[in-house]
Amino acid sequence: MRGIIQIFGIFVIAIQCLAGADRAGLNWWSLREITRPLVPETGKVAKGSPIDAFIRSTLKEHGINPAPPAESTHLIRRVYFDLTGIPPAYKEVQDFVNSSNDNAYPELVERLLSSPRFGERWARHWLDVVRYAETNGYERDAVKPHIWKYRDWVVHAFNSDMPYHRFVTEQLAGDEIEGRNESSVIATGMLRAGTWNDEPNDAQEYKYERLEDMVDVVTTAFLGMTVRCARCHDHKFDPIPQRDYYRIAAAFWSGPIEPGSARQMGGPDAGQLGYKEVFGWTDIHREPPPIHLLINGDPNKKSDIVPPGHLSLVPHLDLPLVVPPDESKTSRRRLQLAGFITSPRNPLTPRVMVNRIWQHLMGRGIVATPNNFGYKSASPSHPELLDWMAHEFVRDGWSIKSVIRKIVLSETYRQSSLHPDADKYQKADPENHLLWRHNRRRMDAEALRDALLYASGELDLKMGGESFYPELAPEVLEGFSRKSSAWSPSPPGDQLRRSIYMISKRHLLVPLMKAFDFPSSEKPCGKRDSTTVVSQSLAMLNNRFVHSRSRRLAEVAMKVSRSTEDAIAFAWKKILMRDPDAGEMDLALAHYHQQVAHFEGRAKPGEVLPAKQAAVSAVPGEGLCLWLSADAGVSLDASGKLLRWKDQSENALVVTQDLPSSRPVFLDRAIAGKPAIRFSGKKDFLGINGQVLKDQDFTILAVASDRSSSRGHREIISNWSGSDGNAGTSVFLGLTGKARVRFSDNFSSASNALILPNKPFLLSASTGTSGSDIFYNGQVLAARGSSLTARNMVTPWVIGQQGNINGEYWQGDIAELLVYSRQLKQQELEALGKHLAGKYNIPLAGFHRAVPVQNPALLGLASVCHVLLNSNEFLYID
Amino acid sequence: MGGGFSGLALTSLLSGSGFFTSKASAQGKTLAPRPGHFKTRAKSCIFLMMNGGPSQVDTFDYKPELRRHAGKSLPRDKKYINSGGRRVGFLTPNWRPFRPGGKSGILVSDFFPNIRKHADKLAVIRSCHADSHAHGSALVQMNTGMPLIGRPSLGSWVAYGLGSENDSLPAYVVMLDKRGGPISGMPNWSSGFMPATYQGTLFRPSGSPILDLSGPGQFRGQAQRNQLEFLDKLNRRHLLVREKTGELAARIQNYELAYRMQAEAPEAVDLSAESGQTLEAYGVGKSPTDEFGKNCLVARRLVERGVRFIQLYSGGGHLEETWDAHESIEKNHGRHGLEVDQPIAALLDDLDQRGLLDETLVVWGGEFGRMPFSEGKDAPGRNHNPYGFSMWMAGAGVKGGTVHGETDELGFEAVVDRVHVHDIHATILHLMGIDHELLTYFHQGRQESLTDVHGKVIHEIMA
Repeated sequence: MRGIIQIFGIFVIAIQCLAGADRAGLNWWSLREITRPLVPETGKVAKGSPIDAFIRSTLKEHGINPAPPAESTHLIRRVYFDLTGIPPAYKEVQDFVNSSNDNAYPELVERLLSSPRFGERWARHWLDVVRYAETNGYERDAVKPHIWKYRDWVVHAFNSDMPYHRFVTEQLAGDEIEGRNESSVIATGMLRAGTWNDEPNDAQEYKYERLEDMVDVVTTAFLGMTVRCARCHDHKFDPIPQRDYYRIAAAFWSGPIEPGSARQMGGPDAGQLGYKEVFGWTDIHREPPPIHLLINGDPNKKSDIVPPGHLSLVPHLDLPLVVPPDESKTSRRRLQLAGFITSPRNPLTPRVMVNRIWQHLMGRGIVATPNNFGYKSASPSHPELLDWMAHEFVRDGWSIKSVIRKIVLSETYRQSSLHPDADKYQKADPENHLLWRHNRRRMDAEALRDALLYASGELDLKMGGESFYPELAPEVLEGFSRKSSAWSPSPPGDQLRRSIYMISKRHLLVPLMKAFDFPSSEKPCGKRDSTTVVSQSLAMLNNRFVHSRSRRLAEVAMKVSRSTEDAIAFAWKKILMRDPDAGEMDLALAHYHQQVAHFEGRAKPGEVLPAKQAAVSAVPGEGLCLWLSADAGVSLDASGKLLRWKDQSENALVVTQDLPSSRPVFLDRAIAGKPAIRFSGKKDFLGINGQVLKDQDFTILAVASDRSSSRGHREIISNWSGSDGNAGTSVFLGLTGKARVRFSDNFSSASNALILPNKPFLLSASTGTSGSDIFYNGQVLAARGSSLTARNMVTPWVIGQQGNINGEYWQGDIAELLVYSRQLKQQELEALGKHLAGKYNIPLAGFHRAVPVQNPALLGLASVCHVLLNSNEFLYID
Repeated sequence: MGGGFSGLALTSLLSGSGFFTSKASAQGKTLAPRPGHFKTRAKSCIFLMMNGGPSQVDTFDYKPELRRHAGKSLPRDKKYINSGGRRVGFLTPNWRPFRPGGKSGILVSDFFPNIRKHADKLAVIRSCHADSHAHGSALVQMNTGMPLIGRPSLGSWVAYGLGSENDSLPAYVVMLDKRGGPISGMPNWSSGFMPATYQGTLFRPSGSPILDLSGPGQFRGQAQRNQLEFLDKLNRRHLLVREKTGELAARIQNYELAYRMQAEAPEAVDLSAESGQTLEAYGVGKSPTDEFGKNCLVARRLVERGVRFIQLYSGGGHLEETWDAHESIEKNHGRHGLEVDQPIAALLDDLDQRGLLDETLVVWGGEFGRMPFSEGKDAPGRNHNPYGFSMWMAGAGVKGGTVHGETDELGFEAVVDRVHVHDIHATILHLMGIDHELLTYFHQGRQESLTDVHGKVIHEIMA
């Protein structure tokens, strides 16, 4: 595999000779020792912080004036998102804007820095850097047990402002430090948070891939150096000889790197680690076997033995490793590597970390390539500022909060994202390298999802613990090789937690998150993409998660408001943290009335409903996708059995049974003198030649009778197909036990004796964004405020049994069956119910819905909320 | 890892040709169509992925010697990893007879009688080899070049290199088998370290083909139109005091595009406009060809609409649900062969008749092949074999009726004109007009490419 590399190496060297010194030496800027730069004199802006002095002196050199301070409303939203990842409440914004306290902003910053939300926000940045996900990837993609404890450790480390040198040391060698404890050992989970192949092609070769992964994550995250490039040859651009790669790799060579039991997932057992239920790392050798340099990185080409060591690119710290004391169980190589990395004289460590912090607050690092400070890095826009901050960082005891505080208190951070001379400056510095204004940013995936839940008032701030599995559309689960076992959603309540607690599974990243640039976690990610693509608009427009939030917010708004204006203003405050102005209110009201009219079936607001429509035709045509009636369009075979049942809906589906022995009987006068189809309960059923339903909102009505003597499951209509993977997500309507109605596996009525044997009845069941309900003769049997969990509808549909299982046959009559691809409006349901009850002489109650379905006013309000959640003002932080 | 090929001079070469400039990406037009490195007829690629690993000696690589040595062990000097530690049986000849097809007389077994009729369109490569015997890593390698997960897939590279000719459809589409996704899941169509814009979009061959294409019932049609008008007004007010170009404006525009996509994507999978004759040819509506037949037909429709890269999976989930014929070659390949043989033949025919085969590259193959020996005495199945297997290409720029490379006399390993996965990839890119050494993406200090420092274009199979 690596055969060509050598030839290649020579080729590249040849190019280098021609091109001159196209590489970094030991005097490369990021390798030079950090000296504290003098803060530039800035004269007029003496009020500003040293950070401002650095930024403004550069601006001055270019003849550029900084932007004015941001409006308070923008500033508070910005600092809330940056420090905690969630928005401020409307009232907090008001208080802040109206405050006469000069210290309002610094006090706000202190409050946010000490909020538990802070750690959750910043931990997520770090998890990207250490390529954290909770599964192994590859063949089985098994969950790494207890790895979430590492995530919680990171959250806690940020919240408690763990000094960065300690933060590094625990992750790298928390098992080796003095006073090690369970928490510090959990921290070593970082080394194992990457991929792990349970079935590598060659287990002996694979251990070198694992080494590369660990060398890569450690040197990238802490040092911003691409040391992994030196596995096969001396680094092409940076002063990292191939030997150094192996010197660093030796630190992990003492651990459980040799192929072992798959159950251990390449890690130590509890005994070796010293703790149960911890997914960490430790050495299993005090003196491991020697590690060899591999020619071209090829495991089959061992060269010289390489003694463990550090990186020679920091010569004054590249001291020989000491042999661990006799009582040590570990080689202490990682501990010594941690010492190298966290030495106050290591020029890379503080530079790399303060740059990461700067990037998250300013939208762009001083070095725009946060994981690479080598020759191929982007050159620093403000090198002296970087060094000043790095120097301060170490001097302040490696306090991350202290760096953040300095930055967010600066005038540079607080400047507006709007600039009166933007047009002019944009030509000179289109990417705003010089920071003449603040960078506007789109919310990242987590902030967006959290903000959606925050707006609807549903965000659950419970911290820590095992991750939750969000509900996914059934078509998303199609991507799994093991469909049924791969994913089971957590209880709905758990799904309202912050996004950092959402499972990250390497086989399937949650599409809504991925659409907004949640990164792949195979390699360290220092900077996420921030794309603007159509799939994001589709997701925001159509994804049910977003619609559910809009609807929920509309419900709350309606409850607390006395007028539509109040409700709209309420939504504005929840989503945009401000009041709508008069023009916006007019637009919103106009939209609201337009939508209400639409949902009521009127063409325009104010238009009187035509008399015909007010009466509502008995069988509404809109969304009708299957309509079978035994008194219309049945074809019988020679023995009077049903051959074909005509679908009167526009779909004109073909409903047949080819097998004579499975055909139900046609009865001329079965229910109230009307015909019906009688199913024997023994293999009678009908196939449907197409997909009946496609959408997740639907209504099914059936006029039937139950003649079953058994009390087992029996179905009227179903698309169950275990082999196609919808065993738990099919649609069906049927009975079980004495009189319990099952409307899919997800929803059923309580067992009661309402349904009388042999008596014809009208069963209606509906589900959608407004909730789910089951009615028996117009009487509610069950209702809930949420829709069914998403159903998979592409599998074949049948009448009279449970999908394709050849079982759960219906025993009794079916006279009429209607399926709608929407929830019927109250009026429609009543009218249709009345029509069917009259036709079949069924006593009818009034269809009193627990939750009013399709309340046009509520939908109109939800529509306003939904548009606001799609607006640029919501999606972007000024 | 090694390499870093084009880090120096070539970057400027690419930027000079206006190739993926930062300006384009800043305006959210990362998928704007762009020319490749050289002229080619291929506009689209359809990759027919036979998930699980079809047996070469039972399909496209006839080995009469196997009959002579039937019942014997594989010679000891042939080294291999016995994947999964399964039982090692005895050399077993092809389960179905081979017959010559077309004028070229390429031998194709009776598992593919219909594809055989198109032998003169095929360039069969009998000397493929890969680096992993395990499905998880081998699939990822066939898709991304490396058996380690985390790199951009072939389709991502093509989308990155050439963009898309259709704003309303994804540039890179993946259609899975209903039985399940491939082992290793999403990394098979991931864009790795490239932006998610280039990742494969899972596409369903009926109804609403992509995710989030329609919302709840009430918020469609006019109701959604009303929403978009209101949204546009709010966004334009928001834009009043902000810069008029760039990201905010691009997002406003994307809502219009999204609206269009809602109509056009379902249209692409709506087969009602196809003639009965076409449907019949693909085996749509009939068992067992219906599913793959629909997928093939949809693939043709996507090609017509300018989609750049389309991958169809045959086989999904695990073991016998895929081409992973441990139990029985006859049963397994019989079953899956029936599912795909007619649809694939129809696709080649249909593309040809519509003049699309000239500009469409069709690739057929699995993640590896299978052993020439059984899994025990008289056992009818075969184990995984990455050392030698067959693939074929047809269409744009491919010299039909060609055979390239050879395995040894037992069909165990590639010996003549060996073709590694990297070479396959280099060749596919080449046929798409892309030089695999020039198409690079800068990541972590390195110009990354699909083929890394490897890959050799197989010029012998080109017209």
